[in-house]
Amino acid sequence: MYKLMTIITLLLLSGYSHAKTINWPEVEKKAQGQTVYFYAWGGSQNINNYLRWANKQLQTQYSVTLKHVKVTDISEAITRLLAEKTAAKNSGGSVDMVWINGENFKSMKMHGLIDLPFANQLPNWQYVDKSFPVESDFAEPTLGLEAPWGIGQLVFIYDKQRIHNPPSSFAEMLTYATAHPGRLSYPRPPSFHGTSFLKSALLELSLDPQHLYQPVESDTFMQISAPLWDYLDAFHKVAWQQGERFPASSAETIQLLDDGQLDLAITFNPNEVISAQLNGSLASSTDTYALQAGALSNIHFLSIPWNASAKEGALVAINFLLSPAAQSKKGSLSQWGDPTILQSQYITGSAKKTKLFKSIPEPHPSWQRALEAEWQKRYGH
Amino acid sequence: MNAFLFLRGLKRIPYFQIGFILTLGICFLPLLPGLAGLLLSALGFIPALNQYHFSLLGFYQLLSWPGITQSILSTLLVTLASTLLTTLLAFSIVQSCWHSRWWKKIENLLAPILALPHVAFAVGFAFLFSTSGFLARIAQLLNESTTFSDWEIIHNQYGLGLIFALTIKEIPFIIFMSIPIFKQLNVDKTVQIGQSLGYSRDQVWQKIIFPQWLPKIRFSLFAIMAYSLSVVDVSLVIGPTNPPTLPVLLWSWLNDANLFTLPKASAGAFLLLLSCIVLVYLIRFLEWLIAKRCQGWQVNGRFALPTMGKSVILITYAISFATLLILFTWSFVQRWSYPDIIPTQWSGRFWLQEWDYLWTITKNSALLAIASATIALICVLILHENNAQSKTSNNTKTSKVSLRFPLPALLIFIPILAPQISLLFGMQVATLYIASQHYYLWVIWSHIFFAFPYLYLALDGPWRSYDQRLDKVSLSLGMSPIKVWWKIKMPILLPAILFAWAIAISVSLAQYLPTMMLGAGRISTLTTEAVALASGQDRRISAIYALMQSLLPALFFILAIIIGRKTGKLENRTRSCDKNDIITQ
Repeated sequence: MYKLMTIITLLLLSGYSHAKTINWPEVEKKAQGQTVYFYAWGGSQNINNYLRWANKQLQTQYSVTLKHVKVTDISEAITRLLAEKTAAKNSGGSVDMVWINGENFKSMKMHGLIDLPFANQLPNWQYVDKSFPVESDFAEPTLGLEAPWGIGQLVFIYDKQRIHNPPSSFAEMLTYATAHPGRLSYPRPPSFHGTSFLKSALLELSLDPQHLYQPVESDTFMQISAPLWDYLDAFHKVAWQQGERFPASSAETIQLLDDGQLDLAITFNPNEVISAQLNGSLASSTDTYALQAGALSNIHFLSIPWNASAKEGALVAINFLLSPAAQSKKGSLSQWGDPTILQSQYITGSAKKTKLFKSIPEPHPSWQRALEAEWQKRYGH
Repeated sequence: MNAFLFLRGLKRIPYFQIGFILTLGICFLPLLPGLAGLLLSALGFIPALNQYHFSLLGFYQLLSWPGITQSILSTLLVTLASTLLTTLLAFSIVQSCWHSRWWKKIENLLAPILALPHVAFAVGFAFLFSTSGFLARIAQLLNESTTFSDWEIIHNQYGLGLIFALTIKEIPFIIFMSIPIFKQLNVDKTVQIGQSLGYSRDQVWQKIIFPQWLPKIRFSLFAIMAYSLSVVDVSLVIGPTNPPTLPVLLWSWLNDANLFTLPKASAGAFLLLLSCIVLVYLIRFLEWLIAKRCQGWQVNGRFALPTMGKSVILITYAISFATLLILFTWSFVQRWSYPDIIPTQWSGRFWLQEWDYLWTITKNSALLAIASATIALICVLILHENNAQSKTSNNTKTSKVSLRFPLPALLIFIPILAPQISLLFGMQVATLYIASQHYYLWVIWSHIFFAFPYLYLALDGPWRSYDQRLDKVSLSLGMSPIKVWWKIKMPILLPAILFAWAIAISVSLAQYLPTMMLGAGRISTLTTEAVALASGQDRRISAIYALMQSLLPALFFILAIIIGRKTGKLENRTRSCDKNDIITQ
């Protein structure tokens, strides 16, 4: 199997070398009148509303229609693309643009579902803050196959009226849970936030975190990950529902925080608490913080499948979403509040107030599977 | 005269035959790619992943997944418990309320509850019963020391909440499906005769009517069993989580970014289909045991089980309407945190913000549902007419009518018995080879495919109970077969036809996967929006979409009832016909 993957990757790489340069005026001209079907998670009304706004802007400025195809999980789009690949449907595909990162990107790249290196040819690429790791996605080189859209940082939400000094490390979390049993938990892996919690915990607990930035090896895995399992064994005894049950998602931890069942919620959007307060889903006394060691950080991206029907439209749309105006709107605290990937001098409005926490880079992506499988074996039933 | 009739009959055969073949094509053709896709990928043959060799690796991976045994067991427990409970409770409700002063009300309230989509019901159910839900808040108010963290109904490890919710949701369906059967069983006369022989009313119901009802409700029981076995969305909202039920696991594997989990997921889907077939035969076996094999209890006049029908129906309706009420309340909430009994801040802004989008989406969903339900209805009418014809011709040839079970019936029910997602993968690939850009065609076709078994089921009882002698009399009076159908049979069965049509509409409106997978996001309906939003768990927005999802099918049910009532007179006329027949006999 690995041989096959290598061959596919090599084939892909050979494709990049004779990729054409993008002639932007021509792209804009061709894009006129195109409808771009943008597959993106549809669970947050703030994000959905932002995309409704983007569609209106694109229509008036570029005559491009952006249709948000709301999926519960972006891998739905990947399964669809895979089916199209099977049927050798190499043009006229149904997905024009996707919102991805991490595992999903790796999977698309590996199966040859993206073939157009475009990111650094976009006119708005010049505004992107290159000090962020915008050319690697969970340690996987992007090769320009996807353009950065925003930044996620793993942070916690607490209620200031309930706790004054929230635990600032995983060790303190255990102490807190021992003193207040049943008040802490984390989303059930393999949900995105749940696995991120595991990775983040292991980075703190591990004696030598550098191992986590190397591909996982089966003979050393148990030894390196042992501190995490010891920690979880102790933590689950005093966790919410005695660790027999876990919240399904980040959204559920926020709900449980508001219901007074949990003392900490977890999210990848440092500004989520502000929009949640405006929506009435969290009390005004809630606040966000990151652990002392920093916040596990990653970038989320936009990409275009190899068989997209409206490639030009998708390029125009992505370029627009990278524009200072669109990024300022996206970062607006009352809207989505997603931190920008542009250099801060181009950002206007309340998005400027966003301050990023000290960041911890994501471990090598191979750790994700290994941790999830081991977690499932130990606690998943 | 006979020769003349025969010639007339021949004349209509070509049209009917063509219609019949078309129907077979529409209803059964999608099975080919569907089942092929399911079997091939379960056996490890997945061209998309460059796997061209058959292997049992998928099954091996499935069975070695930690927690799989528990997951399978809890899935089976939920399915069996909810199906058995529904059967017994639905029967006891009819037993205690049939033709009592309650009955009319129960019948009238069936429609809005049938219209309530499962997932909307589940969302409302969770609002009521979760540890911070409405009931927990009331308990907290009454007794401050009560903590509801011990009361785990939602996400209960053994699926108790799921069993409870599914049972309550399916009871009205079984009652509805039983009405034509009880009419056909001539319940009132049976009770009279039984009582004159010294049995109590309850005994007559349990010992004489129940064994007759059970074989006739069989397919509806299969339908609810298959639904409980393969339900994903409801189980996600209120089912067990550690580990989740098998269909939820499959769903997460199929949605895994690592595409190499596909063989494992397909093997699981195959296992699910297999369990479904086993359970079909188990239900059939239980039925045989109760109705045919162990008949001792039927003639033993000593006992009758107590019934709690009235309280059960009260609870069922109370919870269902409380669900709607709490959804309505949440849709206007700005802030309603635990443990407040009523919201502290109200807001209409969520409705205002969604209004423009809601209108277009509602219109699209309704048009799509009407189109697919109508075509499905025509197909099912043709199938039932074909059955009725072959039955009468069988009757004349041989006195013994062969049982049509199991093959054709199973074939008809595959769309609701097989796990939807695994059938769809094959279908999706097939459309890609033909012309995938005809999104509306494929989506409507798939809705027909998944709705027609329910329609078939809903019309099965009425078609069986239709008095064939009416046809014979009209034919002998010189009416053409088509005219007989149009002027006599159709008007008599119209209320049932309309109600079945409304059921098909509600089924079509509830389709998530077919709309997404074959429509490629070109077609958005209330359900696709609702499911996408549910993943974000915003109670307000979820409530708005759940409400709209219930409102739309409810409109069609009301419409069906209003039109259906107008034909009441004709139904009465045939009833008097029946009585005359009996007198002359």
